[in-house]
Amino acid sequence: MQCYLDNSATTRPTAYVADAVRECMLEGFYNPSALYAPALTSEKKMSACREAIAKELHADSRNVIFTSGGTEADNLAILGTMASVRGGRVLFSAGEHPAVRAACESLKDRFDVQEIPYDQTGRIDLAALESLLIPETRLICVMQVNNETGAIMQLPEIAQLRDKLCPQALLHVDGVQGFMRLPVDMRKTGIDSYALSGHKIHAPKGIGALVTSSRVKLTARALGGGQEKNLRSGTENTPGIAGLLAAIETYPKENNMMAVKLHLYEQLKEIAGDRFFVNGPDPREGAAHILNCSMVPVRSETMLYALEGDGVYVANGSACSSRKQKISAVLAAMQIPRKQAESAVRFSLSPYTTVEEIDYAVSCIRRHYDMFKRYERR
Amino acid sequence: MRQLILVRYGEIYLKGLNRPYFIRTLVNRIKQAVRPFGGKVWLNDSRIFVSDMTDMEACMEKVRKVFGVHSLCPAIEMDKSDFTAVCEKATEMMQGIQGTFKVDSRRSDKRYPMTSPQMNMEMGGYILSRCPQLKVDIHKPEYVMNLEIRDHAYLYVRVIEAVGGMPVGTGGKASLLLSGGIDSPVAGYLIAKRGVEISAIHFHSYPYTSERAKEKVLTLAKQLSEYCCGIKVFVVPFTEPQLQIHEKCPEEYGTLIMRRFMMRIAARIAKNEGSKALITGESLGQVASQTIDALCCTDAVADMPVFRPLIGSDKIEIIRIAEKIGTYETSCQPYEDCCTVFTPRHPATHPKMDHVARAEQCLDIEALVSAAVEGTEVIEL
Repeated sequence: MQCYLDNSATTRPTAYVADAVRECMLEGFYNPSALYAPALTSEKKMSACREAIAKELHADSRNVIFTSGGTEADNLAILGTMASVRGGRVLFSAGEHPAVRAACESLKDRFDVQEIPYDQTGRIDLAALESLLIPETRLICVMQVNNETGAIMQLPEIAQLRDKLCPQALLHVDGVQGFMRLPVDMRKTGIDSYALSGHKIHAPKGIGALVTSSRVKLTARALGGGQEKNLRSGTENTPGIAGLLAAIETYPKENNMMAVKLHLYEQLKEIAGDRFFVNGPDPREGAAHILNCSMVPVRSETMLYALEGDGVYVANGSACSSRKQKISAVLAAMQIPRKQAESAVRFSLSPYTTVEEIDYAVSCIRRHYDMFKRYERR
Repeated sequence: MRQLILVRYGEIYLKGLNRPYFIRTLVNRIKQAVRPFGGKVWLNDSRIFVSDMTDMEACMEKVRKVFGVHSLCPAIEMDKSDFTAVCEKATEMMQGIQGTFKVDSRRSDKRYPMTSPQMNMEMGGYILSRCPQLKVDIHKPEYVMNLEIRDHAYLYVRVIEAVGGMPVGTGGKASLLLSGGIDSPVAGYLIAKRGVEISAIHFHSYPYTSERAKEKVLTLAKQLSEYCCGIKVFVVPFTEPQLQIHEKCPEEYGTLIMRRFMMRIAARIAKNEGSKALITGESLGQVASQTIDALCCTDAVADMPVFRPLIGSDKIEIIRIAEKIGTYETSCQPYEDCCTVFTPRHPATHPKMDHVARAEQCLDIEALVSAAVEGTEVIEL
């Protein structure tokens, strides 16, 4: 049996999505900028995808820019908005994905770039944020859901603080882990830009989008043929867009992911007893698809490799940084004790994860935990 | 007239009656190295020649890595009877060059009508009169036009330094304890360079070390195999000995007892393979298990010589060689080669042999060693 529990790293495209991509590659391969009739079909597909995204986010479909994925969307939002601004403060939250962190840090020579701390549950420390918001704040970057802990950030409260203390500041939200899994109303909440990625919701890799509010003035990062209203040149990735549209259309928003996750949580708690710790918010309050927990003293890599042998795939922290051997920045920002952090395993589910799969994974975890807990560093 | 590679060997010249054996092995090693390029390799008049290859530069890069080769030169082979034509070709080769030069001739064909000094002067004058950008400097020239008169005339300017050493296979067989670190591949390289055919032994502690860590070791072995003319890798399942040591032995001796197990297992595999020695990447004082006292304890269980070519090297010197042979980047990949669960916080740096021996008495050493040897996976690269 195989059990893939690393859906925050990437998801498996559904057969429906794969068919849509294939059809687009074989039949609808025309360049959407071409003047003959078949090219119009490609363009229509793009418009339909823009509409679907805009509807999901309560935004204007004219402000949807297709990108190669979440990283490019984040980069475009941060560097593209700040290109025409002279000085001021840029804020990003302590557990942001490197796509946001690195883009913000690259602005250090022109802006006062500061980090917004987390509280112990991995959410934004609102009091600290309030003290960081000054009238000269230009940009606030906050992710919708943290990719490692599943903590859901307090976007409405953050937008309200922005409106009160620095109404000119733009609020950029990295929605890569939240899109389709949590409702978003960009207009009502006051979000200025929102980045999303296809491959986290069963679409292919290589497609994403940046959605902006009307008050955002972007400067292009990729220059060329003037596609995407001159904001992102390059022939559009029509198979990716077809796949993204198919994924949005068929994403099962009504699902029992939370129940499946709580089922996993309860069983793991029972296995490790008082050495079980959740890294992040109470599982009932976090995103339904992510559970980050530690079963001390078994180190994350040991558990991960042992499970790999059973066909169970999980992550230690974020896949983007697991090649670096150090404690994850997110867990460090939450001041998780080192020993607990060293055992942190992230389980991430999809709406298609079944209770049977979880039971299989749990039986493997129980076996490995009982065996490896005997060998603790003295 | 044709282009070929002229290969020169170094230390083999010092050999006496067994010199032909060394040269024959070297020729075979070169043949093996150039096989992908379809090159012809032959020995003539104490020089080895490689010709008719599909890609000259790639072929030279391969030959450069064959132990026993001292240097190589991309050369022109032509008819020696028309000396003016030879001079004409030499002039053509010097056209793009600026600076000082001299001509250095040798003739093994003593019937050739000109002596070496005569050829130097004639050819030097010919080149100088046609290449006004060049000047002659016979003491410290920037370029040397080499002319060798054998069955043909051979011309070359470029001399590429090769790895040196002795042909692999002429020095017997030894087994290298290969971790994923920086040192052990370098140790293997240095011993292979002395003509030793090496195999590699890697200790794998799944799930404390990952499939990727094993893959990294195989990549290192593959990189070494370019010099070693192929390499056999023995992957030893090492989790059980590690767990038992951790559970039953005093913490401060943990690493040392683990090293002793590695030595016992490696020696047994080595013997089965026909290896006469073990090779490790240890360097004196680098870590607790590499003090003189600790090395005495590990040596005591290996019933064959243990070669430690890096024993007197600093880390920085080892890194320099690793960079040169191309293993450094792979070694730096962050996949662990042992788990910190098993690393004692305060390891014994001056262990007493009898204490260590007593500490491991609680283990069934023979059973653990035999099981590890039996479970070993063999991968040929």
